[in-house]
Amino acid sequence: MQAQINSQVSSQIVVENLNHMYRPARGQPVLAVDNVSLEVRPREFLALLGPSGCGKSTLLYLMGGFLPVEKGRILIGGKPVTGPGPDRGVVFQHFALFPWKTVRANVLYGLERAGLPKNERLKRAQAYIDMVGLQGFEDSYPSQLSGGMRQRTAIARTLAIDPDILLMDEPFGALDAQTRSLMQSELLAIWRRSPKTVIFVTHDVQEACYLAERVAVMSARPGRIKAIVETKFDRSDPHLFKQPAFIDKVDEIWALVRNEAMLAQRLEAH
Amino acid sequence: MAMSETLSYLRRGRGVRRHSWRYTVMAWLPLIVLLIAWELTTRSGLVTPFMLPPLSAVFGRIMEDAASGDLLTTIGTTLWRALMGFGISAVAGIALGILISQYKAVRWFFDPIISVGFPMPKIAFLPIMILWLGLFDVSKITMIAFNAIFPVVTATIAGIEGVEKQIIWSAQNLGAGRKRLMWDVLLPAALPQILTGLQVALPIALIVGILTEMAMGGYGVGATMQTASRMADSPGVFAGIIEIAIVGYVLVQAMAFIRRRLLMWHPEALDATAA
Repeated sequence: MQAQINSQVSSQIVVENLNHMYRPARGQPVLAVDNVSLEVRPREFLALLGPSGCGKSTLLYLMGGFLPVEKGRILIGGKPVTGPGPDRGVVFQHFALFPWKTVRANVLYGLERAGLPKNERLKRAQAYIDMVGLQGFEDSYPSQLSGGMRQRTAIARTLAIDPDILLMDEPFGALDAQTRSLMQSELLAIWRRSPKTVIFVTHDVQEACYLAERVAVMSARPGRIKAIVETKFDRSDPHLFKQPAFIDKVDEIWALVRNEAMLAQRLEAH
Repeated sequence: MAMSETLSYLRRGRGVRRHSWRYTVMAWLPLIVLLIAWELTTRSGLVTPFMLPPLSAVFGRIMEDAASGDLLTTIGTTLWRALMGFGISAVAGIALGILISQYKAVRWFFDPIISVGFPMPKIAFLPIMILWLGLFDVSKITMIAFNAIFPVVTATIAGIEGVEKQIIWSAQNLGAGRKRLMWDVLLPAALPQILTGLQVALPIALIVGILTEMAMGGYGVGATMQTASRMADSPGVFAGIIEIAIVGYVLVQAMAFIRRRLLMWHPEALDATAA
């Protein structure tokens, strides 16, 4: 019982009054994240939704420890984030695989760093390769794979290190529509099998509604949390996208995002 | 093994592709035509054999030198110097590139030196090199390494700095520390560019090797050509030119072969196997 409570706490994320200035090499610094506070419950699937350039990815990178927290704080399991670590697995939009390593070697890399014995490593890597449906492609290089297969590899690589938290940065944004919808249901299946705290960045309202239990809608730059909407549906329902309750929810969130998207476009035009 | 590969060997385009024999002949044809024109011109009596000796006479000379064993010593000496210098420039250049990319102080120190040194004709240092290090191998090899190191350093820095940020992040996320990051991620990711730098440095090493031999003597193809020139032995000079051309071609092809071997994962190599 004690162990379970600990692991629950360690997957909890608390963001308090977080600010982040984006400092481009040339030009004025821009406020990218403006006074964001957010609490993510253990084992929760939360979507960060917002127009492009709203700072949602920046917020994710801050949680990942890739960018320094300058103002405010981020606590993971009660401890402030100081840098990247294998407790938080990250999946990037453009996969960020090691192109000189095969699928198997990519998945093995985190397990090698974790110092697992060789047999255990190989067994675990194979299990995750099988889980994402890449058996037969273990010895292929990323450049030989389709976009969907590359993202499966990246997901297997991240899941293999068994992180408490999964940070996903528009992971299906670079995929075609069919592959994306396939990957969405697979992600849900994986999440159901081994529930983790997931933060899923997207600008796709339907995707956010379908995958997440809560959707945090962000405003255009500077990024603030505009609203948090509960989106609990029966995801095993094959006709979910046609259910009036689901459609209403999508519309409700769309209304929140629409203004921000238009504002973001105007900002980008500058 | 087509000529077009030599012309495009710096381009990161296609790798090997199995060409038909007809393609191979076509690719070499301009060179063959040029050599035939050479032979015909000399036979027509338009030029004196001193101005341009017949190709057959030049090949005859190469064969003679090969039979007497001189050819092997001459080319061996030049190759040894060029490859020693190249090896030093490769190891030192990659090491320096790593340090410059990782430490601000090292960058601050070397940045202006490289900016000024790269475009400078470093062969101008030859008299000083002779004064400091003498006329023998040490000064020649130092001169070669000094010339060849610049493209290696700059390619290493550019390669390491060009690594996609998210690839670095995902390695850190999977538990790679600073040292691991360099060996497991930055260097392999920068390898295509580092190899390009080495491919630029290799012909430079050969050129500077020949030049130093011409200037300082001491066997080698360059020195032999210089001696032949002083003795008004034009077949000897042309024999040297052809020897260098062949050695250079073989070296460049060997380097391209190593590149393909090391970059098996790269789309440039995978493309070819898929075709």
